[in-house]
Amino acid sequence: MKTVAYYRGCLASLSAKELDTSTRALAPKVGLELVDLETVTCCGAGDIHEAEPDYYLHLNARILAYAEATGSDTLMTVCNVCTLNLRQANFMLSNDDVLRERVNANLESVGAPPYSGGVDVRHLLWLIAEGDGYELLKQAAHKGLKGLRVAPFYGCQILRPSRLLGFEDPDRPWSLEAIIEACGGEPVDYPAKIKCCGFPIIQAREETALGELIQPIEQAIERGADAMVTPCPLCHLSLDAWQSKLEASTGRHFALPILHLSQLIGVAAGIEESELKFKRHVVSVKPVVEKLSV
Amino acid sequence: MTEAAVHTEPQTLEVALKVWRYDSRTGERELVRYEVEAPDWVTLLDVLDIIKDRVDGTLAYRKSCRMMICGSCGMRMDGAAVLACRTRMKEIVEAGHVPVISAMGNLPIVKDLVVDMEPFWSKVRAMKPWLQSGYEEPPEHEWRASQEQMNVIHKEALCIMCGCCVSECNSMESDPEFLGPAALAKGMRFVGDPRERNQVERLNAYNEEHGIWDCTRCYFCNERCPKGVDPRDAIAKLGAESIKHGIDHDMGAKHAKWFVTSAKTTGWLRETELVPKTQGVVSAIKQTKFAMGLLRHGKVPLPFPPHVAEEVDEARALYNVVKQQGRDGALGHVQGERALARIDHPDDAGAHGGQGYRDSPDITPGEPPVQRDIGEDPHGQQTR
Ligand code: SF4
Ligand code: SF4
Ligand code: FES
Repeated sequence: MKTVAYYRGCLASLSAKELDTSTRALAPKVGLELVDLETVTCCGAGDIHEAEPDYYLHLNARILAYAEATGSDTLMTVCNVCTLNLRQANFMLSNDDVLRERVNANLESVGAPPYSGGVDVRHLLWLIAEGDGYELLKQAAHKGLKGLRVAPFYGCQILRPSRLLGFEDPDRPWSLEAIIEACGGEPVDYPAKIKCCGFPIIQAREETALGELIQPIEQAIERGADAMVTPCPLCHLSLDAWQSKLEASTGRHFALPILHLSQLIGVAAGIEESELKFKRHVVSVKPVVEKLSV
Repeated sequence: MTEAAVHTEPQTLEVALKVWRYDSRTGERELVRYEVEAPDWVTLLDVLDIIKDRVDGTLAYRKSCRMMICGSCGMRMDGAAVLACRTRMKEIVEAGHVPVISAMGNLPIVKDLVVDMEPFWSKVRAMKPWLQSGYEEPPEHEWRASQEQMNVIHKEALCIMCGCCVSECNSMESDPEFLGPAALAKGMRFVGDPRERNQVERLNAYNEEHGIWDCTRCYFCNERCPKGVDPRDAIAKLGAESIKHGIDHDMGAKHAKWFVTSAKTTGWLRETELVPKTQGVVSAIKQTKFAMGLLRHGKVPLPFPPHVAEEVDEARALYNVVKQQGRDGALGHVQGERALARIDHPDDAGAHGGQGYRDSPDITPGEPPVQRDIGEDPHGQQTR
């Protein structure tokens, strides 16, 4: 078992609770022991980074400091945006002693622990796409996906900027495909799998965002996908909840089930519906469940 | 170097490329395969030169400097925008790969690999890329801008206007009128210039409909830029400067500010209130039918009781401490740039606080340059 500090982020605590429950159910099966962080806040989701960059740095330093205080060397994320925000702050703090000292003095002045730079921020995807995690995953996914055709959707902030993420080639990623295969599914390839889902501007610029969202949905359906999987709950929200809006703007009906990474593996690993919580999705996951139960 | 070393024949490569040819007059498109022999040091641009010289003189592409300075040779290799003169072929050939070369995206193609740059230039021109100074003439000597002041726009000033960032901008694909990464980075280059006097006017203009809040944070621009400009980060600087100057009428700005409010009040995003806080109550009500659909699936968490992080008073106190230290606006971004640069240049002197210069945290972008007497300058510049 590898012990990791678990950073849920906002979405998995709120509208994407199914991501949290399925991640918790999956973790022991892939060799991860999760230590909860109760005192941390939102990472700022890129918005605080943009509006109040110094506050962004401090909030993320505080999260890293509490993660370090658990004694684990790894902070596990389940969201692309959390991953980028925390990794970026981590690089800033670890590579600049003067900056870190000022931030630490501020943290201590409000009663938070200081951060010494000893934590690596890793997304769940990276922990199970290779090494021991991957071997355990292959054993755990014994129920299999029976050849289900799954479109991997990476989203942006787990790939780019690659100097801050760096797990895989941002133009030719392979990790989701490897996991789909390990679960007995068939990965569906399509160009928009590395593009944007539109989420960051879906409220402020809905039309522009929908013009982005339609690309992966349309391409995955054209290539015969039964479902789509994503490592990011913000991509999930946009792909799942806003999919119906594509109908209003194009006159065409789309109904592509969107799964969180931990749900896809969860199905293959025989995790109960009570943990996967498919009923919380807007686009029905029933066709997938039916296809797998025959 | 000995005579013999100079005349050593280089190893040669058999380079194969597939090029999307295109004729805008007829609309004809064709993927053409070329194979040429070339020295092993060739770049993609050298290979195109050899093809044009020996195989097919009708192939069209742009070039000038051949050394990553002029920004003429932007094109796509396997769908990703690159400078042809910066892209070495040896590894690609040795891997047995035959890359597909095509024109950049988001710009109309004139012929083969040549795009019409007019939409690019018109957006750059819309940024008014010149100083609007208005400060007084220096009474005796010249004005000096300190290194710390120039650090604010150091990265933005590196742009060579190649368009590689624009080629893959996801927001621009969806909204062609979006000012886009190159133009907005240019905007920051002037907003942050210590000699500039019209920051607020500029920020207001860049906050309009197709401005900074159109950016979907896909980070393709940072990934593709061959010069380390990091246009997405320049846009974040403009966002931070706008908020600092109270320019927050856009829904994008309101959205960003709501995250700050959430973090310091409950610690977590107050998701339910995000839509009315971003779009205003009237538009939010128009969205009610959509929202009710989400509610059925638990996608709209009820606001009461609010989800409050333990020890949230720490996050709130932290906000007050940070605000007192005055690293608002672009400065909050600039302070992290040195550390991030060390990812690519780990041997940089001063990586751990020793040698090398440090960004002074106390410079506000746009602060006027100080006038210094030349006589006091330790480096004693004598010319006037
Ligand atoms: S920002 Fe970078 S990619 Fe964009 S035009 Fe300038 S140099 Fe080229
Ligand atoms: S991050 Fe913004 S400006 Fe850069 S390519 Fe994406 S949408 Fe365009
Ligand atoms: S030819 Fe000038 S940048 Fe490539």
